[in-house]
Amino acid sequence: MPKRSDLEHKALQFIANTSDKGVLQSDLWRKLDASSREGSRISIKLENKGLIRRQRELFEGRWTYRLFPKRKPASINSIIDCPCLTCSESIRCGAYGAMSPNDCERLTEWLIHLTREEGEEQGDS
Amino acid sequence: MLTLVDDETLVKVAEVLGQEEAIQIIYTLKDADEITDDQIANKTGIRLNSVRKILYRLYDHSLVSLRRSRDQNTGWFIFHWKLQPDQLEGFIMNQKRYVLQKLDARLSYEKNHDFYHCGTPGCKRIPFEDAMELLFQCPTCDKPMMHSDNHKMVTILSQKVDQLRKELGE
Repeated sequence: MPKRSDLEHKALQFIANTSDKGVLQSDLWRKLDASSREGSRISIKLENKGLIRRQRELFEGRWTYRLFPKRKPASINSIIDCPCLTCSESIRCGAYGAMSPNDCERLTEWLIHLTREEGEEQGDS
Repeated sequence: MLTLVDDETLVKVAEVLGQEEAIQIIYTLKDADEITDDQIANKTGIRLNSVRKILYRLYDHSLVSLRRSRDQNTGWFIFHWKLQPDQLEGFIMNQKRYVLQKLDARLSYEKNHDFYHCGTPGCKRIPFEDAMELLFQCPTCDKPMMHSDNHKMVTILSQKVDQLRKELGE
């Protein structure tokens, strides 16, 4: 049987990935292969720690809880392709440095790529 | 400690810090509680100096912790490494702040300047002040330069800056 802290962590990760939709408490325990008693105890614990929000919901004639994350998981997706993230010149880059984001060719290329992508998306829709 | 970072993000961060080799090292660290650089090199097949280089890079960002002990026989130091996934969120936030600073600087520059371009791919856009001195002739290909509209770039930069500010809660 998995340890309580492991289950707690898994449950939190699962709830965090559901974002605005949330997940029914009863569904979550099935997915985590835990008992409902164990599950409700962990969800109360997570709520008390301020990590999730529980909302009562009537589902198929039974009262259960829908669990929502209070915080979104940290994600690096918004900057993962930005050249500044992996730039070897970052130490020299700045207002008074040898390099500057104003005339950086790699940054310009990335921005042109983004504007093209945006244009294609608008063209598709 | 409970952290809200998934494996996918962990792998992406490793990729940023050291490509494929860092991903292998992160997975090895994740499976072990505490491990020496020598053991990592044996398990992954990566050269010991590369392993150390990547570990120190991860250490610079506090993503791994380090414990030092002395070998009883040789008297040499042994370094024991441990993954600190709870520091990952802080690392991501710091990187976002760094990128935001760069993009914000670029956004002000784009907003405050008019650009001229010759239309040749690979040639640079020139700000109005410099273009005037060059008599609106491209310094690279000598073709005449025309006004280059940058409103799309300003829009995309504004979107990115707003998105990052929102993610950072600013």
